[in-house]
Amino acid sequence: MTYDPQADALPVSRPAEPGRGAAAYRIFGETLRGMKTTFGRIVEGPTTVQYPEDKAPVYPRFRGRHRLHRFEDTGLEKCVGCSLCAAACPADCIRVVAAENTPELRISAGERYAAVYEINMSRCIFCGYCEVACPFDAITMGHDYELSDYDRSDLIFTKEMLLAEPVERAPLRAAGE
Amino acid sequence: MSPADVSDYRRREQSVTLSPANEPPNRGEEGRGDHHELLTLNMGPHHPATHGVLRLLVSLEGEVVRDLKPIIGYVHTGIEKTAEDKAYWKVIPVVERMDYLSYYFNALAFCGAVETLLDLEVPKRAQYLRVIHLELNRIASHLVWLGTSALDLGAISVFWYCFRERETILDLFEMSSGQRMHTRYFQVGGVIEDIPAGFEDKLRAFIGVMPERADQYGDILNRNEIVVRRLRGVCPLGEEELLALGVTGPLLRAAGHPWDLRKAEPYCSYDDFDFRVPVGTVGDNYDRFAVRLAEIYESVKIIEQALEGLPAGPYITEDRKIALPPRHELATSMEALIHHFKLVTEGFRVPPGEVYYPIESPRGELGCFVRSDGSAKPVRVHMRDPSFVHLQALAPMVRDNYIADLIATLAMLDPILGGIDR
Repeated sequence: MTYDPQADALPVSRPAEPGRGAAAYRIFGETLRGMKTTFGRIVEGPTTVQYPEDKAPVYPRFRGRHRLHRFEDTGLEKCVGCSLCAAACPADCIRVVAAENTPELRISAGERYAAVYEINMSRCIFCGYCEVACPFDAITMGHDYELSDYDRSDLIFTKEMLLAEPVERAPLRAAGE
Repeated sequence: MSPADVSDYRRREQSVTLSPANEPPNRGEEGRGDHHELLTLNMGPHHPATHGVLRLLVSLEGEVVRDLKPIIGYVHTGIEKTAEDKAYWKVIPVVERMDYLSYYFNALAFCGAVETLLDLEVPKRAQYLRVIHLELNRIASHLVWLGTSALDLGAISVFWYCFRERETILDLFEMSSGQRMHTRYFQVGGVIEDIPAGFEDKLRAFIGVMPERADQYGDILNRNEIVVRRLRGVCPLGEEELLALGVTGPLLRAAGHPWDLRKAEPYCSYDDFDFRVPVGTVGDNYDRFAVRLAEIYESVKIIEQALEGLPAGPYITEDRKIALPPRHELATSMEALIHHFKLVTEGFRVPPGEVYYPIESPRGELGCFVRSDGSAKPVRVHMRDPSFVHLQALAPMVRDNYIADLIATLAMLDPILGGIDR
């Protein structure tokens, strides 16, 4: 079947060059119509959020600051230092150095644990591939979005920072909101 | 003085033919002084009306633009080169950052190219989900264009109106994919996650109010005297010239040529939907404005149909050599775990070959060229970005027009510098 481009064309309307009376209408009438539209919005109320005071709520899938997790029962870290997150990261912002667990010092549930786990937040693009890659649900994207800092070096988040509970959580949207 | 001593600016000025003293410039008498002298002016790179970091070297005769040269590269990020160093699935979030207002389109152009190389069938549900997000993205992109363009013409309230609706769209993106921009929702073979519960209701509510909201923009702008005077009959460029310059998308359609890749070469199930292609008549700034505004309504119609006809089934291909296995299988199936490790560390291999995959982005034909040598990383990724091609049409459009119309034309051109510089 050959394609006939004209078949689906929808011509848009153009304002004609008006006569004297129509020109006067267009200047005043249309301005009034525009103002009617604008004033009609007053009854709708504001749609803005007073941001620093009211935090904007996020959806459950929102990808904010990363979090590392522990097992709730044993307190052991879920991360076993497999570096899959580092392999998946398109921005190369994750650094993992693994070490062996010993019977005296057991840190994670697996054979090995992450001795160093750093995420460079100034490089991270929040794509969430680390969360997708992790086979143990050890790293997830949290809901915190306020990450700015005065110093670049402070944006390299260490394992302790990522394991700790965030101080202030962003509110989560309720169902149907 | 030897020619080598002449500065570039001076040489450019010398190349311009001055208008004869008795011949007024294109529009009216006001733009002329008693004597003719060219003034070379830099507009940008930090100019609010350039919609990004664009520098225009403008040769002015009085208020009239006689020559114009866009200078680009201020936001060059080397994305195409970066893509050569990443596995295919890791390229997706990178290419999304090219044209930062139409990220879903960038992702689809790349994913579509790779899927063509892989000869991969994308499930119907994934295609429909893609269409829903693409058209939402098209509306969002047009809303940013409309708001900022109206701002350039001096109308500030339209900007707030547009960003109100855009906010709803970005909320929908956040709900389905977790991020408001650069969502990496599209993956090779489908989409990364199914839409969450409640998404359909929220989307239905949005497409219910969107035509009414678009009517409001029309009420304010369509027949507004200032808008009509600033846009109607300003800087037209005919179909022939546009085609010769490689211009596509709304700019070409404004000149009366109904070329839309969604119709001409349907991809991603676009042939399932009933929609029309808005076209203008003369291709002036008013037509460019009206065509884009009309496209918002058509996009709403497409979303409506895609939502009604959303088929059940998988949202990503079942081919375990390409798509990651479902998470619940990782704990139970060793085979799934091996596939998972293999895909994350190395990625999937793509058969050797090269492909060009064009799609209709909000700005025109966005094509992605991918060349593969059989490894897990692309040898070459190149984007044919419409903004880049359209920028060369700016000089023919605005030549011999007022500098104020240059701003309006640039706004109607809708260039995205992230896409131009890449």
